[in-house]
Amino acid sequence: MELRRPVPLPRASIILAGFLIAGLIGLFTYFLPVFQTATTSTFGAGSVPNLNPVLAPKQPFTVLLLGSDDDSKFVPDRLNTQSMILVRVDPVSKQATMLSIPRDLWVPIPGQGVGKISTAYQLGGHQAAIDAVESNFKVHIDDYVWIGLNGLVKIVDQLGGVNIFVSNPVMDDFYPMDLSATGNPYDYYRVAALPGSSHLDGVHALQYVRSRHGDLRGDFARSERQQQLLLAIKAEAKRLNVADLPALANAMNGEIKTSIGLDKLRSLLAIANEFDASNIRRVVLLPPYTSEGFADGQSVVFPNWEAIRPVVQSSFP
Amino acid sequence: MKRSAIVAGLVLAMVLFGFGVYHAAAFLKADRPMVHRPSEISAPAVPGTLYLVQAGAIYRFQHGQFTQITPESGWTQPSLSPDGHQMVAVQRHTNYSDLYLLNPSGKTIQQLTSNSSERPENNHWAFYPRFSPDGSVLFYDYDPKDPYNNFHIDLAIFASTAGSSWHSSKQWTNPNDYSGGDVTPVPLRGGALIYTKFVIDDQYKLHSQIWMQSRAGSQGVALTPPELDCLQPALSPDLKQIAMVCTRGQAQTAELDVAGFDAATSTAGPPTPLVQGELVASPAFSPDGKSIAYLGPVTPGGAYQLWTVTTSTDHQVRDLTRDLGLDSGDEE
Repeated sequence: MELRRPVPLPRASIILAGFLIAGLIGLFTYFLPVFQTATTSTFGAGSVPNLNPVLAPKQPFTVLLLGSDDDSKFVPDRLNTQSMILVRVDPVSKQATMLSIPRDLWVPIPGQGVGKISTAYQLGGHQAAIDAVESNFKVHIDDYVWIGLNGLVKIVDQLGGVNIFVSNPVMDDFYPMDLSATGNPYDYYRVAALPGSSHLDGVHALQYVRSRHGDLRGDFARSERQQQLLLAIKAEAKRLNVADLPALANAMNGEIKTSIGLDKLRSLLAIANEFDASNIRRVVLLPPYTSEGFADGQSVVFPNWEAIRPVVQSSFP
Repeated sequence: MKRSAIVAGLVLAMVLFGFGVYHAAAFLKADRPMVHRPSEISAPAVPGTLYLVQAGAIYRFQHGQFTQITPESGWTQPSLSPDGHQMVAVQRHTNYSDLYLLNPSGKTIQQLTSNSSERPENNHWAFYPRFSPDGSVLFYDYDPKDPYNNFHIDLAIFASTAGSSWHSSKQWTNPNDYSGGDVTPVPLRGGALIYTKFVIDDQYKLHSQIWMQSRAGSQGVALTPPELDCLQPALSPDLKQIAMVCTRGQAQTAELDVAGFDAATSTAGPPTPLVQGELVASPAFSPDGKSIAYLGPVTPGGAYQLWTVTTSTDHQVRDLTRDLGLDSGDEE
């Protein structure tokens, strides 16, 4: 039996393959922060992105946005959600709805008894928060996004700031000085966000959506401002593309938890341009949808389900 | 030897190609707008002189040139005296702000307030200083403390007579509780005052209205209905028009409107939109009343630039700058 010598690859092919590998290494290095974010954050399965074009979603979907104070005053992963916003996006009709859920809403929490809905996340993580919202509001939630204080600041800064219409003077003499990892998280300082259109960096945007002490409408006003910030972020996200993902991933690394894979995030970026602010319905559960009171020795917000459920059913069918 | 050199050259070329791909990917990133210092650029000239703020420094804009007149140290809200010989401006710090009298070149003449204190909640704010038309009274915003509730902070408009003790300032307006307060005073000849008042209605909705008050402590009258949500009033030189920013209940839209104004009857006509679909701020009439300068971004989410719009029926809009980062609450 005669052994045949292997046929040598043409030199040109070897050289071409070398350049291809070098190019891929360059591309991989550029997108490395994205891959690292995908492996260190709680992105869902299949979250390591490919660079092929992605299809825009066609089916309506609902996302629960959660925001927590996560400074050193709190035990990590034992956090309340100071902000809960349910967002439904219909890519076909180009309509979206944002529903802010009062953090002090007094509701049954599955498996935990009755309590403020903001405590569900502390008791059982994102799944408990999703279960609490799904069971009380009778909606289906497809995905969730959780973000901490520094995460929000970094995202806004990464976007180059956001333009916000400050609705009224937002005055707070006891704003927590808790963004620094080294200082005393119980220190405080004064905030005065003056009314009118403003270009805000991350710290000032956070002050605007977080302050509540000097406002008669307290958490309700804060909810309206948080929805405003989402609109402003959406406006900024319009100009982003896949090449911006590494810098965003760097900003988000460790500061965000979500079930949305990066490929889906790319597809959402693709449809962000198609949504006009006028087609985004904003719902805040002000009275008569809710009423303030006391339960179990705490200041709470009672839901008026007879008023709330028709609104939810029409917006989150 | 020759073969080794060729291989080494090819490997080097491949490495360089890899670097090239890395940088080519970075080139695809969305453009981050370039922000220049105003003094680094020129712009089309406009009638009169404008004072603008960027990054804590006050700039004078005259004959198409920007001149920096203060350092970048927290300066904001400059306002010229009626005779043009002095300027009052705010210097803002973390927990407080103070009013200063400056000469038109930006040199400090006198510190007018001392609002700092050791404990954060004992500090005070001073904002929006404006001279009366005869220059004898200085109106400004201040945050009086509520001795019974230290969460209660509403800005109120105060007035101080030139030459009198600062501590003898008189509170002019009574803001609605926990609304944030009354802001942006515009003094009129004859002693009346136009400003922005915030109200929270019985549906728990927040509104802003242009308000007019004839004397200190009086109740005053609304010049605009609550549903238009108007603020930042500016008077035309002939006192017959008010320019203002109105949101009409929208969260992220602020249009530039103009309404007829009759000071004698304390009434304003229905506001007419001049500029829509943007987040505009800080309107100011030209000395001839034929145009209004205002601030707004060129692109959604972009930094604030200087614009003008004519008040004639065609409402011609012109962008004077495209690469500044002006503070949107500050134009005089």
